[in-house]
Amino acid sequence: MNEKEWLEQTCRYALESSLRKGAGQVRVSALRDVSNGLTVLNDSLEKIQSAVESSLMIQLFTDGRYGSCATNRTDPALIDQLIDQALDSVRLLAPDPCRTLVPAALRYDGPPSKMACNGEISTEAKKTLLSECADGVFGKEPLLISVTVDYADYKRRTQIMDSTGLNRSSEETWYSLTAECAVKGEGDTRPSDWEYSGGFHPEAVGIGSGIPSGCAIRALQRALAKRNPVKIRSGRYPAIVENRVASTLLGPVIQAVSGSSLQQQDSFLLGRLGQTVASPVLTLIDDPHKKGEPGYRLFDHEGMATVRRTVFENGRLNMYFINTYYANKLQMQPTISSPSLLTLPGGKGNAGSLAGSLKNGIFVTGFNGGNCNTATGDFSYGIEGFRVENGQITNPVNEMVMTGNMLDLWEKLLATGDDALKTTAWQIPSLLFDNIEFAGL
Amino acid sequence: MDHKKLLELALGKGGDFADLYLEQSLFHEIILRDGKVNAAGTNSEGGLGIRVIKGQNTGYAYTESSLASDREKAARTASYIADGTVASTGQASITTLNLPDRYPILTPWDSFSPQEKMPYLYELNDLIFSADKRVKKVTARLADSTSQIAYYNSLGIHCSDIRPLASLTVSCIMEEYGRRETASASRSFRKGAEFLNPHLIRELAGEAVARTAFLFGAGQPQGGELPVVMSAGSSGILLHEAIGHAFEADFVRKNTSIFSDKMGQRICHPGITVVDDGTIPGNRGALNVDDEGVPGQKTYMVTDGILTSFLHDRISARYFNVSPTGNGRRESFRYMPLPRMRATYMENGTETAESLIASVKKGLYVDTFSNGQVQIGAGDFTFYVKSGYLIENGKLTQPVKDTNIIGNGPRALGMITGVANDCRIDNGTWTCGKEQSCEVSCGMPSVLISSLTVGGRL
Repeated sequence: MNEKEWLEQTCRYALESSLRKGAGQVRVSALRDVSNGLTVLNDSLEKIQSAVESSLMIQLFTDGRYGSCATNRTDPALIDQLIDQALDSVRLLAPDPCRTLVPAALRYDGPPSKMACNGEISTEAKKTLLSECADGVFGKEPLLISVTVDYADYKRRTQIMDSTGLNRSSEETWYSLTAECAVKGEGDTRPSDWEYSGGFHPEAVGIGSGIPSGCAIRALQRALAKRNPVKIRSGRYPAIVENRVASTLLGPVIQAVSGSSLQQQDSFLLGRLGQTVASPVLTLIDDPHKKGEPGYRLFDHEGMATVRRTVFENGRLNMYFINTYYANKLQMQPTISSPSLLTLPGGKGNAGSLAGSLKNGIFVTGFNGGNCNTATGDFSYGIEGFRVENGQITNPVNEMVMTGNMLDLWEKLLATGDDALKTTAWQIPSLLFDNIEFAGL
Repeated sequence: MDHKKLLELALGKGGDFADLYLEQSLFHEIILRDGKVNAAGTNSEGGLGIRVIKGQNTGYAYTESSLASDREKAARTASYIADGTVASTGQASITTLNLPDRYPILTPWDSFSPQEKMPYLYELNDLIFSADKRVKKVTARLADSTSQIAYYNSLGIHCSDIRPLASLTVSCIMEEYGRRETASASRSFRKGAEFLNPHLIRELAGEAVARTAFLFGAGQPQGGELPVVMSAGSSGILLHEAIGHAFEADFVRKNTSIFSDKMGQRICHPGITVVDDGTIPGNRGALNVDDEGVPGQKTYMVTDGILTSFLHDRISARYFNVSPTGNGRRESFRYMPLPRMRATYMENGTETAESLIASVKKGLYVDTFSNGQVQIGAGDFTFYVKSGYLIENGKLTQPVKDTNIIGNGPRALGMITGVANDCRIDNGTWTCGKEQSCEVSCGMPSVLISSLTVGGRL
C-alpha cells in the first residue's frame, strides 16, 4: 500500500468507526510528513535530522454537540479506543448547534491538490550545498564569529474526508535554506542576521544549479551593516518597513477580520465591513491559486473551496475570514477560515527607492517583540533598522520602539513597493508609512 | 523495547554518546465560550527520539512506530552524524536514577471526567459576569496533560518520569460606551486534578475582571527613556529575556551570546542573585530530571552580582568541561534537547516596593506583561506591558497600558539600582519559544531599573 492509499484507508476507517459508534457527522483528516534537516556550523556538519510523522484528527458532531480527538498512533484498536473516549466526553458537553460540516455548495470537489516535486536528494548533495554556502563567508571575513547554514525539506500528504461525501487529498514538498551570520560588533555585542531561500522544488535552494547559494554572503552583509547602531531622538518619522518583516504589521489586521475575533467582539474592525478603514493605497488580495508559490491551496482544513478574494480594495474592507462555525454564530455567509496567499499589488520599487523620497526617516528591517491590543488596535513594537537621511539609507539604529494604533497606521500608508518575497505565503512588499511615533532618546 | 540494541546501532558509526527518549503523552482540553462548555479535545501521541553525539555534532531521528524495525532504522539514521566505520565500544551497565517527586499526582487526570471539570468553568464564567456589568464575553480553556517519559543513554543511565501539567486560562471582554477592552489571566502547575479548587477559580475571576476594567482608565504612556519600577512576580520576564536566553550555553558555546566572555565577571551590582530552578514543587518549570537524564536542580546564574554559571545541556557541559545543569529540555520526542530555562527568578533584596517607587521622580511602574523577545548577540531585549502606572514625584498616578519596553541586557542589568524583599513566582502559562515550545515560569522581587526605553505616544 502506498502512502496515499494508507492515508485514505486510515481516514475511512476512522470515519466509519466513528459513525458506527454513534457519531452523527464526522470529519477526519490525516497527514503523513517525511522531513529531513542538516545544519553546517562554520566548516563542519553540526546536525542531521530525519523524521517520518503521521497524524490523525477526528472531529465529531453528535447530538448537536462537538468534540475532537487526535493521535499519531494509527493502529485500528487505538483509534477505536480514542473515539470511544472522545464520544463519551462529547456527550457530556453543552449542545452547540452552530457546529456543522461545510455546506455542500461550498465544499471543494475538484481534483487532488498537488504542488510537489518527486525524487530523492542525496545527503551528500545536501552537505555539498551547505558547505559551499558557508564557504562563501567562513574564513573570508575577519569580523565573522560564526556562520550557520540550515537545510530542510519535507514531503507532506494530507487527506480530508467527511460523512457527507467530502474526500480530497493534497501533496506538497518544500525545500529551504537559511543562513545566519554573527559578527563582532562594538564592545561585547555580536549582531547577527539571516537570509532565507525556499520553494517547492530543490532548484529553489540551488540544488542542481551548480552555483553555490549566496545566502550566507547576503546574511553576512546584513549582519555587518548592523554594527555599531545608535539610538536616535524620539519623534515622528516617516517609516519604510522592509518586505521581509512587513507582514508583522498586517498580522493584527488579519486577526481582527477573523471570525473568532469578530464573534468574541475582540476586534478593532468589528462592524467595519464595507467601510474605508485604511489608506487608498491598501489593496490586499487573497490569491490561493498561484501554483508553485507558498500559500497555494485549493481547500482549507474544513474542506471548503478557496476562492480569489479582495480583502481590502483601496482601503475599503471587503470581507471577513469566517469559517462554517463562526458563520453560523454570526449568522453570516462563510468565506474561508483564513487567508491563503496574500498579495498587495499596485506598488512600485523597493525599500531603497521608497527611501529616495525621504529627507529624514527610519527604515525598519526587523521587529524585536511587541504586541497589539486586539480589541483597540493599540500597538507597540521594538524595532531595528537604519536611519534615512536625504534619500539615503545611512547608519543602523536599534533599541527603539514604534507605537501607535493599527487603524491610524494603515491610514498613513503612503506607498508600497513591488518587491514582495515569493518565499512566504503573505507576500507583502516594502511599505512606506507617514508620521509614525518612535521612542528612542 | 530493546534499548541496548538500539544504543549499539546508534553508536554503529563511531558516535561518542547516544540516548533514547521514549514518550507517551495524553492531552485533554475543554473550552467554555458564550456561556457554555461546548468543545472538548483529546490528543494521544507517543514516539521515540534517538540522538547520537559526536564531538559537538548531533544526529537525531524519531519514530512514532513501536515496531522494532522502524526504531532500528531511526537509530541507524541518527548514527550517520559520525562518519566512521568502527562502532563505539559497548555501553556501561544500566543504573536507574533515584529521583525525587516534585509533582506528585493526587488525582490523575485520566480519572477525572469532563463532567467533573465543567463546573469549575461555569463557576468562573458566572463569577466574572456577576462582578461587572460591562462584561460582554468570557472564554475559558482548561488543558491538562500527562507525559510518561523513559530515558536510556550509552553512559548506562536510565530514568523515568511522569509529568503532569495543568493550565487554566480565562479571557474577558468588556464594553463601556462603545469601547471594548480585553485582558486575560491564567494559572499553570505540574499537578493532577487537585489543581482545580474554588480558591483558584475566585482568584482567576478576580484578576480577569480587574485587569480588563483597569484598561478603560489607561492610555499608552509618553515614550522615551525612563526609570522603570518592575513589580514583584511576572516582571521575571525581564530575567528570561534580558539574561536568561543569553546564558543558555549553546549560544555561549558558539560565541554568539553577548555574555560569552563574562564568566566569573561582575555583571551587575552586589546583592543581586539570579537563579534558574527546576526544584520548586508543582511549578510549571519543575523537573525531576531533564530530557537527557540529568537530575533537576537549582542553578545560580548570577551570585551577588557575579556571573557564576551558564545553563548547560550535555553538549555544552562537555565543551566547557563542567557538569550539566539539568537544562537539557525538549518539547517532545520530535525534538533534540537544547539548553532551556525552567523557573528563572531573582532572589530578594533589602528594599521595599514602596521605597523604590518613592525614589522615582518621573518614571513608570509596570505589573502585567504578555510577551517578550531578545536578540542574543546584540543583547537587545523587549517585553510587552499590558498594564502599569506613571510614577510622578514618588507616587503612582496615571494608569498606562499597551507599551513595549526595550533595553540592552548587560546595560539594563547594570542599571538595576534597587531590589525589594518581596520576591514572588508568577504561576501563569509562560511558554518559551526558542526553536521549540517549552513550559517555564519566572519570578522577581520589585526592582528599579534606572533607564529603559518605553514605547509610547509623543
